Amino acid sequence: MLAFVAVLMLIGYSCKESFLEIPATGQLDEAQLSTKKGIEGVLVSVYGQLNGRDNRMASASNWVWGSIRGGDANKGTDPGDFSDINPIQRFEYQTTQGVTQDKWKGLYEGVARANLVMKLISVAQADVTESDKKRIGGEARFLRGHYYFELKRGFNNTPYVDEKVDYGTGIEKVPNTADLWPMIEADLKYAYDNLPETQDAAGRTNKWAAGAYLAKAYMYQKKYAEAKALYDLIIAGGKTTNGKKYGLVPRFQDAFKASNDNNSESVFAIQAAANTGSVNNANPEFDLNWPYNVGPNGPGNCCSFFAPSFELGNSFRTDATGLPLLDGSYNSGGNELKTDMGLKSADPFTPDAGRVDPRLDHSIGRRGIPYLDWIDHPGNDWIRNQANAGPYTTKKYAYYRTDVGSLQDNSSWTPGYTAININIIRYADVLLMAAEAEVEAGSLEKAREYVNLVRERAANPASFVKRASGENAANYTISTYKTAWTSKDAARTAVRFERKLELSGEGHRFFDLVRWGTAATEINAYLTYESKKLSGALGGAKFTPNKNEYLPIPQDQIDLLGKTVLVQNPGY
Amino acid sequence: MKQLYMDSGRGLFFSLLLCFVSLIATAQDRKVTGRITDIAGSGIPGATVVLKGTQLGTNTTAEGDFSINVKSATDVLVVSFVGYKTMEVNVGNQSVVNIKMDDDISALEEVIVTGYTVDSRRETTGAVATVKSKDLTATPSGNVEQQLQGRVAGVTVITNGQPGTTSQIRVRGFGAFGGNEPLYIVDGVPTGSTDFLNPDDIESTTVLKDAAAASIYGARAANGVIVYTTKKGTKKARKLSITYDGLFGVTTPGHGQKMLSPQEQADWTWQAIKNDAFQGDSLPKFTNIASGQYGSGDKPVLPDYINVGGKTGVTGSLDLAAEKLKYNVDPTRGSIYQVVRANKQGTDWYDAITRVAPIQRHSLGFSGGGDGSRFYAGFSAQDQKGILLNNGFKRYAFRINSEFDVLKNLRIGQNAQFTYLQILGQSGGGGGQGVAADENVILSAFRMPSIIPIYDEFGGYAGTAAKGFNNPQNPVANRDGQANNSGFAGNGFGNFYVELDIISGLTFRSSVGAQYSNYSNRGFNRLQYENSENNSAYGYNEGAGHRFSWTLTNTVNYKKAFGRHGIDVIVGQEALNTGAGKNQSSSGLNPFSTNINYINMTNVSSRIVNSDFYKGVNFYSLFGRVNYTFNDKYIVTGVVRRDGSSRFGSSNRYGVFPAFSAAWRLSSENFMKSIPFITELKIRGGYGLMGNSNNVDPNNQYSLYGANLGLSSYDLNGTNSSALEGYYRTRIGNNNAKWETSITKNIGIDATLFKGKLDIILDLWQKDTKDLLFQVPITASAGYRASEPSVNVGKMSNKGIDLQIINRGRITNDLGYELNFTAGVLRNNIESLAPGLTYLSSVNPGFRGINPIRNQVGNSISSFFGYKVVGLFANKQEVDGAPAQDGAAPGRFRYQDISGPNGKPDGIINADDRTFLGSPVPKFTGGINIKLTYKGFDIATYMYASVGNKIFNVSKWFTDFYPSFTGAAVSARVKDSWLPTNTNTSTPIFESTSNFSTNTQSNSFYVEDGSFFRMQNLTLGYTLPSNILGRLKMQKLRVYASTNNLFTLTKYQGLDPGVGGNADTNFGIDVGNYPITRSYTVGINLGF
Repeated sequence: MLAFVAVLMLIGYSCKESFLEIPATGQLDEAQLSTKKGIEGVLVSVYGQLNGRDNRMASASNWVWGSIRGGDANKGTDPGDFSDINPIQRFEYQTTQGVTQDKWKGLYEGVARANLVMKLISVAQADVTESDKKRIGGEARFLRGHYYFELKRGFNNTPYVDEKVDYGTGIEKVPNTADLWPMIEADLKYAYDNLPETQDAAGRTNKWAAGAYLAKAYMYQKKYAEAKALYDLIIAGGKTTNGKKYGLVPRFQDAFKASNDNNSESVFAIQAAANTGSVNNANPEFDLNWPYNVGPNGPGNCCSFFAPSFELGNSFRTDATGLPLLDGSYNSGGNELKTDMGLKSADPFTPDAGRVDPRLDHSIGRRGIPYLDWIDHPGNDWIRNQANAGPYTTKKYAYYRTDVGSLQDNSSWTPGYTAININIIRYADVLLMAAEAEVEAGSLEKAREYVNLVRERAANPASFVKRASGENAANYTISTYKTAWTSKDAARTAVRFERKLELSGEGHRFFDLVRWGTAATEINAYLTYESKKLSGALGGAKFTPNKNEYLPIPQDQIDLLGKTVLVQNPGY
Repeated sequence: MKQLYMDSGRGLFFSLLLCFVSLIATAQDRKVTGRITDIAGSGIPGATVVLKGTQLGTNTTAEGDFSINVKSATDVLVVSFVGYKTMEVNVGNQSVVNIKMDDDISALEEVIVTGYTVDSRRETTGAVATVKSKDLTATPSGNVEQQLQGRVAGVTVITNGQPGTTSQIRVRGFGAFGGNEPLYIVDGVPTGSTDFLNPDDIESTTVLKDAAAASIYGARAANGVIVYTTKKGTKKARKLSITYDGLFGVTTPGHGQKMLSPQEQADWTWQAIKNDAFQGDSLPKFTNIASGQYGSGDKPVLPDYINVGGKTGVTGSLDLAAEKLKYNVDPTRGSIYQVVRANKQGTDWYDAITRVAPIQRHSLGFSGGGDGSRFYAGFSAQDQKGILLNNGFKRYAFRINSEFDVLKNLRIGQNAQFTYLQILGQSGGGGGQGVAADENVILSAFRMPSIIPIYDEFGGYAGTAAKGFNNPQNPVANRDGQANNSGFAGNGFGNFYVELDIISGLTFRSSVGAQYSNYSNRGFNRLQYENSENNSAYGYNEGAGHRFSWTLTNTVNYKKAFGRHGIDVIVGQEALNTGAGKNQSSSGLNPFSTNINYINMTNVSSRIVNSDFYKGVNFYSLFGRVNYTFNDKYIVTGVVRRDGSSRFGSSNRYGVFPAFSAAWRLSSENFMKSIPFITELKIRGGYGLMGNSNNVDPNNQYSLYGANLGLSSYDLNGTNSSALEGYYRTRIGNNNAKWETSITKNIGIDATLFKGKLDIILDLWQKDTKDLLFQVPITASAGYRASEPSVNVGKMSNKGIDLQIINRGRITNDLGYELNFTAGVLRNNIESLAPGLTYLSSVNPGFRGINPIRNQVGNSISSFFGYKVVGLFANKQEVDGAPAQDGAAPGRFRYQDISGPNGKPDGIINADDRTFLGSPVPKFTGGINIKLTYKGFDIATYMYASVGNKIFNVSKWFTDFYPSFTGAAVSARVKDSWLPTNTNTSTPIFESTSNFSTNTQSNSFYVEDGSFFRMQNLTLGYTLPSNILGRLKMQKLRVYASTNNLFTLTKYQGLDPGVGGNADTNFGIDVGNYPITRSYTVGINLGF
């Protein structure tokens, strides 16, 4: 019997090793990815992370981090919906705030994917040529530079990890003490030096985009001379990846139109596509930022987030000469924009008849003005909770009725998904940053020239919002700066205000204010004004200088890595 | 030969069988016959006669006769039958053995079926519990596992009211951070789910709780093993035995939560605005509140219509004929135009989505046998509707079990079941057990304002398209929309076995078991129009898949008595695959016609197709057990099992899990015999190791990369309509992971006192899991999309007491009683995590921004974590004097200042002040079963209690705060909310603000006591006396009526305190629990 048992066990023993080896299914290993096709595919995923995928807070669109914190908009909607954003707009950041962690994690996912490309290049198979390595490496480093740029201005210094550290090789020990700027510059410089001017796919980055990003990184460090030198080259010779010389599109609104994606103004944009099988390719981070309960009469349907502020609306007021009210008087007395706050849609209302910058009605959805090719904005009917959000809805990245089903995606819980590319850098941004650099260099006239390029485009009558009758929908009055600026200060004020008007809602404002060192003054002024209109949402909120410029390092990461590895930002 | 069996277990099986045929030895058998009778002398039909230490056995005929082959004079017959005391009879040289059975079987005399062996309780050294098969049928549930609730000490069952739902079943606590489901064995074949089993087919249920009992299942035993065997039939049955068990009844939905009436909601909306003004020190303005539904005056006015073509707050009468011409509810035909009357009486939305749900179950059983054969065939049908519309469970099962004597010493047999299973309209992850954590239709019912009617004036659905009521969706429309959804699963399960008696006492058994299942489903998403947030496309989806798993087991059992020594040895080998198969799913939009007969995957646009193939996990195991008995007093058992699993890399693939246990039967000692009231007394002790690998992904050893349309694709070419595939790291591998090991210690006492009137089974136990496998969180800088590898660090402890007391007897000759009390005390604690890690930062589920869970060292799994509310701020002075707290104001939560950066209270309320607020793990669970019999009548009740668990009732976020979703329905609890004039309350001020001090944080306001006591069942039955039955030529006729869940005593404010979850690191959170509600059934049991 014992012999029998032994035989039994031997039989078992002889086959068990291979019996206990089961390969993974539906997945790849590293060796399969080190071919040219494989590395190119990994590079796609680095781009893919730009919009944060299903993590709204991680998108480079920065609608919360740049626009809401900068006063372009408030959270909108109901106080309780996505309430994690409430403390962000009130500058009451908790270190445990989920949205803050979302941003951190999403950006580092981008970093990790870029690092994977770099690592695969170092072990690439023979079919990957040296020039492939340069080009692919250039794109990956550009994108890594982008993700670190976002981390830097979001959190100040964060751990710098590249392809040399990973799980198992000490990644958890990298501290957040080193300044990120040199590494960001190095990545962007490499991309600028190695990327071609044009590429086979419109969505890839190129040499000029890298140059523009590098210049932006210089601007954040107040390296105006370096920035100016680059801007001169970019403005003179820059072109898009698909070979279009940089220039402003004739009509302002066409910079935000899916059918006009990858135009001459598109320096670097998140490529969006509808009906791909996943709405995560169709600006998922904007899915909540639509007028509410519109039925078939309007775009989106949900959820009234990202409501432009009263203050922003007022900023579009122009004087008789068509210039903005740079003294800030737009927020007082008769200059304030007339709104339908407190009115039902059934109540009569006539929109403001005063002079306004035409960009107002491309940037803000307001009562009585045609909402793209939908209907006239009905006011309160499209607002989820006016008392909390105010009278406006977002408009810049909205889709047209004619885009429904083709450049818009119906396959998820809301129709609010579009193929509109989200600009990370557009040419107007380049011109206005160049103008800033020129102001700091003392060349005020050059700065005025750049600003006027932007204003001229805005003043194109063909771009004005019109009623069915052909009339302008409002009293659009705009002109260029016709006279030279009298001082550097005056020039600065004008250039900076132009940025606010031109780039509102595009995720820049807060970072600009911090970069200029005016965040505390400007944001507290905004909060003081706005909280009178929206006392529930913003009453009592204030920006604390030397603290609120940066987000707290996520508490869970500190808890995980230790206080000595991750040092919390001051004030938290 | 190697090549032959490399690829499949079947090959291995047959080659082993071939090896074996040559080994057939012969043994001389002789036949013993006899009759089993009760004390009165009448034959007991269906009693089991087993040759001790073997699986050889038979059942008595209708007259109580049996016939069995024995091998030697030392063989012992074990005779058992429900309701009688199990007897052991030495065969000796007799050829006729007549046995008179005493009634009142003691629990300690029963037979324990472990899957590999059949033991008598008397000689068991481990912690084992059994459940009587009739207890499994007492309450009608779709899934037999639910019946374990309160029946087995030390088994925690948290379940919900969905028919056919899975449940959280935990044997002796939570050993790991996941994968704590027990191992199920059905007729010797392991399976992951027992929802296919018909309770009427089950013969015995055994729960193996400690290592001594369960370690024979080694690496898969750490969470306990639940062993079911199905009915077998009787050899030489004189006639076919037929049983019919039928049950009919209804489940009632009970009542929903108390919500505000339309007028109250209007009044409280106004009050919220007044409260805002109070907080802001301003005057209230009522313009545009609730989109003007209640007017704008100082007093709210209920409108007559809430939606007239988009207009709100319409008062007065309408020309409905004219309105009807404008009516349109088809979004494809242009603007929606509805006319919705205000329901001033108020709609009871819970009532609207629920129903009195019928249930029926029919089981037919046929059993019998010939000289060398026995069989059981069962056919059953169960149709159980859920209390929700379009929610139900159906099971049709056909079972056939048979066994044949091929030679005198060779038997073959099989068990097989074919099942059609349909579960429709279920929600919740993990097969339904996660329902409480979902924002489901039950929550919707409590979010829909009562002023909204179910239907508009012209037959369409009404809803929040009427502005001012935020975004809840019409839950009736939601349920109706599922009417055409369909789906089913087909399941075949069973085994084929050979048993060979090599020599006397030595039996070889080989079994091959398999489970094949497939499923198919289709579903429709209607185009909505009635809500504020609507589906903008008509959706269609399909899914299908199949799965095949197999198990091959070979055992050799040797059992022999040498004088005062008894020895029982089993060695075995097992190879299995947990299931390989395929899933596929596809979806599409907007078919030309929404006629469901037209729709298929071909006729829709925007098709998305997904599939995945999986290979399952392979196990290869060797095991053995030695049981030595000396003089019927001292029993020692040693078990060891060595398992290898494909879940682990080659370096740590094998685990060895030994267990030792011993028992001393004091009652056999002479000095004990003088104590008259002790019938049986045994002290048991066991120590052993058990393994677990459930919580490890089979791919854990590999670093993997993959493409995912949603997570890594990109439209690099700028096409606007397509995206390239991108590859990213999906998993970081760990080739060094090894088995989790649970060390269990158990001390137990089995006592039978007063001649079987009182049984006490008491166990003190401790289970320490080390090398806990879990995904240790890694720095986000490595990328958060890659799954972290599971690493063996961390320890968890579970300690407890299991107690079962059975008291039975007769008060008079006719009046008998039985009282069965089970109790389990449990303490779960996370002892350690990875070095430097104090809590699992990777487990932080969010519920609308509230993160209630923290798994931290020194606390139980899934503990609730947040701010402790010490009260509501009484006034501005208190706010000013209190520690700084964002958003503090009168009537809002005041949090306790617990800590600061230096570990001491610092006058600032921030993340440092969060603390533990309770645990969802019950400290005590228990049941009481009381049964009285009087002549033919029987009355039984069964009660269950769960004590000491907390529930995080996050549904209050939706219903108790105005700003959560402004305008949605409001709980009646706010009538007691804080006002300057009502400060003695714990319900905060009802106002618009949503901030740190109101509704946004995890805090103790949401934490409630989840203890409850429930009368699960009350049954009154009547059995016809045997003299009448004889005239009817029947064996049995019993009719009964019962009610389930008659009442529940609890302080919990939600619908039902049975709040589970589908993840052990994350349960006890109530968003929209599907309640267990009262049902009434009548039934009949027939035997021919």
